[in-house]
Amino acid sequence: METYWLTGLTFLPLLGALLVLTQSDESSTWRAAAAFSLIPLAISIYLLIRFDPHEPGYQFVEQYAWIPQFGISYHLGLDGISLFLVVLTTLLMSLSIIYSGGGDIGYRPREFCFFMLVLETGLLGALLAVDLFMFYVFWEVMLIPMYFLIGIWGHGNKIYAAFKFILFTMLGSILMLVAILYLVHLAHLQSGAISFDLPNLYSVRLTPGEAEWLFAGFAIAFAVKVPMWPIHTWLPDAHTEAPTAGSVILAGVMLKMGTYGFVRFAIPLFPEIAMQATPLFMALAVIGIIYGALVAMVQPDLKRLVAYSSVSHLGFVMLGIFALNPQGVEGAIYQMLNHGLSTGALFLLVGMIYLRRHTREISEFGGLWHRIPIFAAIFMFVMLSSIGLPGLNGFIGEFLIMLGAYLKIPLAVVFAVLGIILGALYMLYAYERVMFGPITKAVNETLADLTWREIGVMVPLIALMLFMGFYPRPLLARMEPSVAAMLDRVQTAQVRLEKPRPAAVAALDPARRTAER
Amino acid sequence: MTAFNLAAIDIAWLPICPLIIVGVSAMAVLLAGVRVRDDESQGLGVLTLALIALAFVFALGLLGQSGIAFAGAIAADNFAVFFELVILISAALVVLMSIDYLPAFGLSAAEYYALLLFSTFGMMLMATGGDLIVIFIGFEVMSISVYVLAGFLRRSLKSNEAALKYFVMGAFSTAFLLYGIALVYGATGTIKLGPIRAALSNPMAGNPLLLSGIGLMLVGFGFKVAAVPFHMWTPDAYEGAPTPVTAFMAVGVKLGAFAGFIRIFMVHLGPVSPDWSIVLWVIAAFTMTVGNLVALVQVNIKRMLAYSAIAHAGYILVGMTAAGSQAGGAILYYLLGYAFTNLGAFAAVIALERRGVESDLITNYRGLAVRHPGLAAAMALFLLSLTGVPPLAGFLGKFYIFSAALNAGLVWLVVIAVINSVISAYYYIAVIVAMYMREGEAVVGALGRRPAVITALAVAAIGTVLIGIYPEPYITGALHAFNSAFGAALPRTASILP
Amino acid sequence: MLTWVPIGVTIGFAALVVAIMVTINRLVAPRHRSPVKDLPFECGNPPSGSAWGRFSVHFYLVAILFLVFDVEVILLIPWAAEIRRLAGFGLGEALIFIAVLVVGLVYAWQRGALDWD
Repeated sequence: METYWLTGLTFLPLLGALLVLTQSDESSTWRAAAAFSLIPLAISIYLLIRFDPHEPGYQFVEQYAWIPQFGISYHLGLDGISLFLVVLTTLLMSLSIIYSGGGDIGYRPREFCFFMLVLETGLLGALLAVDLFMFYVFWEVMLIPMYFLIGIWGHGNKIYAAFKFILFTMLGSILMLVAILYLVHLAHLQSGAISFDLPNLYSVRLTPGEAEWLFAGFAIAFAVKVPMWPIHTWLPDAHTEAPTAGSVILAGVMLKMGTYGFVRFAIPLFPEIAMQATPLFMALAVIGIIYGALVAMVQPDLKRLVAYSSVSHLGFVMLGIFALNPQGVEGAIYQMLNHGLSTGALFLLVGMIYLRRHTREISEFGGLWHRIPIFAAIFMFVMLSSIGLPGLNGFIGEFLIMLGAYLKIPLAVVFAVLGIILGALYMLYAYERVMFGPITKAVNETLADLTWREIGVMVPLIALMLFMGFYPRPLLARMEPSVAAMLDRVQTAQVRLEKPRPAAVAALDPARRTAER
Repeated sequence: MTAFNLAAIDIAWLPICPLIIVGVSAMAVLLAGVRVRDDESQGLGVLTLALIALAFVFALGLLGQSGIAFAGAIAADNFAVFFELVILISAALVVLMSIDYLPAFGLSAAEYYALLLFSTFGMMLMATGGDLIVIFIGFEVMSISVYVLAGFLRRSLKSNEAALKYFVMGAFSTAFLLYGIALVYGATGTIKLGPIRAALSNPMAGNPLLLSGIGLMLVGFGFKVAAVPFHMWTPDAYEGAPTPVTAFMAVGVKLGAFAGFIRIFMVHLGPVSPDWSIVLWVIAAFTMTVGNLVALVQVNIKRMLAYSAIAHAGYILVGMTAAGSQAGGAILYYLLGYAFTNLGAFAAVIALERRGVESDLITNYRGLAVRHPGLAAAMALFLLSLTGVPPLAGFLGKFYIFSAALNAGLVWLVVIAVINSVISAYYYIAVIVAMYMREGEAVVGALGRRPAVITALAVAAIGTVLIGIYPEPYITGALHAFNSAFGAALPRTASILP
Repeated sequence: MLTWVPIGVTIGFAALVVAIMVTINRLVAPRHRSPVKDLPFECGNPPSGSAWGRFSVHFYLVAILFLVFDVEVILLIPWAAEIRRLAGFGLGEALIFIAVLVVGLVYAWQRGALDWD
């Protein structure tokens, strides 16, 4: 049956972006933008309900020829891996736009809404694209609006941050483009048909050398986005200088694009190399976890602290992914959602306090608990979710990840636990300095507590944190079939790897040679 | 001595119809404009536009033709028609930019439009030429007209410098080209391209006469397409020339030169490609790298666009190095997208220009997005397309060229090219930063509000987006133009896509 | 490598010719400098006025117009010599050629290139 749900989901924000530009006054701009971010949210929830939890493949598929000469098709699909990320995207986008309408964005609101909605199209398109070319297009499309968001509405050294952000990610992604082209070229040589469609590319036979280079091309692009240590340096700048809504989307969704890319593309396309690279990636992930936590601990700036905590949390996600077993990967996807919720919420809270005090220096605060209890309570709750308190969502994800990692490399878990402890440490320490004790600064005496709008923005996030902490089953059940299908590819690769190498190479080479002729 | 035989010349008026229209138009405009005052020259511009449209219609009618005319002096094929169409579109956009520019800057319109048409004629002749001499004549007609156009701001020292530099360097390159043609003639005994290829099929490798000739022709074309190390004239000439002329130099001249370059090298010197493709490889790599690196430090937007044009020539040379019909289609598609994008960027530059004010500095673009959001958005669009951001025309052009090059096995050249793409992002985005993120008082001159300039901007913007989002017909067209003209002549390899 | 010899010979010969001409000139030319010989040649009269005197731009315009017709003659004479064989085709070509030149002349005329004042 023909459906247009995914097309609608992807392009309604773009339509909204264009309509927003026609709005004349400020309040109608915000209303229109909010409406156009709520429609995709409604669609994504509808899809969530309609989603068939037993189907491992793509659902709601749409496929049309786009550039038939290159075998490029307009191919959208939703599966258990992308489903919840799509919902997360639409949710965070709505909340950020609604929040931003409450005074966080002081100037040029029309352009702000325009870029936010274009960004939403880019994010959703990248999550839904099954065709590699389409994926690349959306992958790049989402850079540009984010760049403007940081550069125009950011704080402090915003232009430098925006530049750094775009150059880092562009360098990564353009190498991925070369890898995509080369992969398609090989597929074309071997099968005679040209196609950028992901399922068609699974069967490409690669020599080990080729596979290594191609995997590197993909992995670097995704690792920059994650970001993995040591190419994370754009992240603290971008996060700190971005406007609140930008930080929320950047941390909540955009970083997931990197990890999602690993799960969706890099690993299934090159399972052998992914297997071999596991120790390397797990090591980098662990370094990221510890490094992020240690650096976060010494940050004087609340937002920078949250930014570095992202480096640490994304390390967990990478750890789970490269465990390459169901527990690890499902945990990783779960943790992506958790991180989106809790870090998104943390950035929103930091934004709220910044709006009141125009500073984020931890030393500027102290004793806020007395003045703004609702804020402090919500902050506490979100923070506990972020550090993985049992009963809240963070715990489930971290637990599954460590279970998966333990099955793979037990040593990694030791360091990861250290990371969790450090995480609790820096968060609680920061919380203590901000919220407890006497009020030391006079300005803090007159702080206003959260407005209804702000509370309204936080409520859905908190509800989800609770729900996901207590009842993860429905979410995991929907991920399971797709994750299993993905890991199936890895398993067969493992079998292939364990066979004696010369035979495998001999089987590859003559076939390649005849194909090239 | 053979007797002159008229019957041997197949006089076919149809294939040269667009050429004749443009040539006669040039003279007609010259005469019609004799008594037109400089500040009332818009009508002349509209007349020029109408004549270009007429030629365009006739050229459209030629689509699907194949073969040669005038005993091989004219190549009547789709490749020629494709280039004629794109050249005419570019000329039309340049006229749109010039209609209000000329009165605003007090330039005499009759000569301007006539020279513009003459150079268009030269470009089209280069695309249509079937032998070396005809291509050379096109080269000269194009170049000489543009030399004069570059110096059209008579009272501006920079414009004089531009014209003089361009003229001296251009004359130099012409000599190289001509000498190269002479040597190739000496080696093969013919100036007609078809017979040259036939002659090369015999073992001629290592023939010094031929190699020297090819080398010299490479230099000649290298100058015209502004390839490194023959690019030194470019920035000064681009900066000093009146901006519509700069736009025409960046797009039209490049189209004409590449038309001849591709027809001679990629196709008819194809049999000896091992002799020159490695040279082209190196030139392509240097052209991209030098163009992009030097563009990084430019503060004048016209100079920046000049170096960007050098870099883009490098990308096209990557396609030429790849050879094969897929690369041919890629280059044609790239040039189409490049024409719209680059002309759009120059139209935006014109919108900000005012007489007697130094308005080409990138710092003058500060705050444009706040004061003139539409213009800033258009300029941003063009710059992003030049960077190669999907889904705009510039991205798909690069995508197509790079995939053709990868298929030809030029992995490292492609890696150099994509790294250059990232470098280029830096300076294109610097302009966007100025427009959107810096505070400033960008002033749009009266030109930015004239309907003609706005039309040019709109057409270029629509082209840039449309060619990128819905590329299928243009890709088909470009590939078909190349394949139907040369498909039979090129060796087909397994890696050729559709 | 041997095939490159003719190229080398050509270049060498060109250089040699230049060298010989310059050398012969130096060897053979008489050199007796005197103040009179250093003066610009003006029909044997002592020069009067500055060498930087200006000419009216009209001289140049007329010279350029003259050049146009000069070129025309160069093309038309061979055409005239072969007029029978070229027949109607040649006539047409020649007329087009002249027409193009006439356009230029009319243009120059209309722009006032022929008015002396």
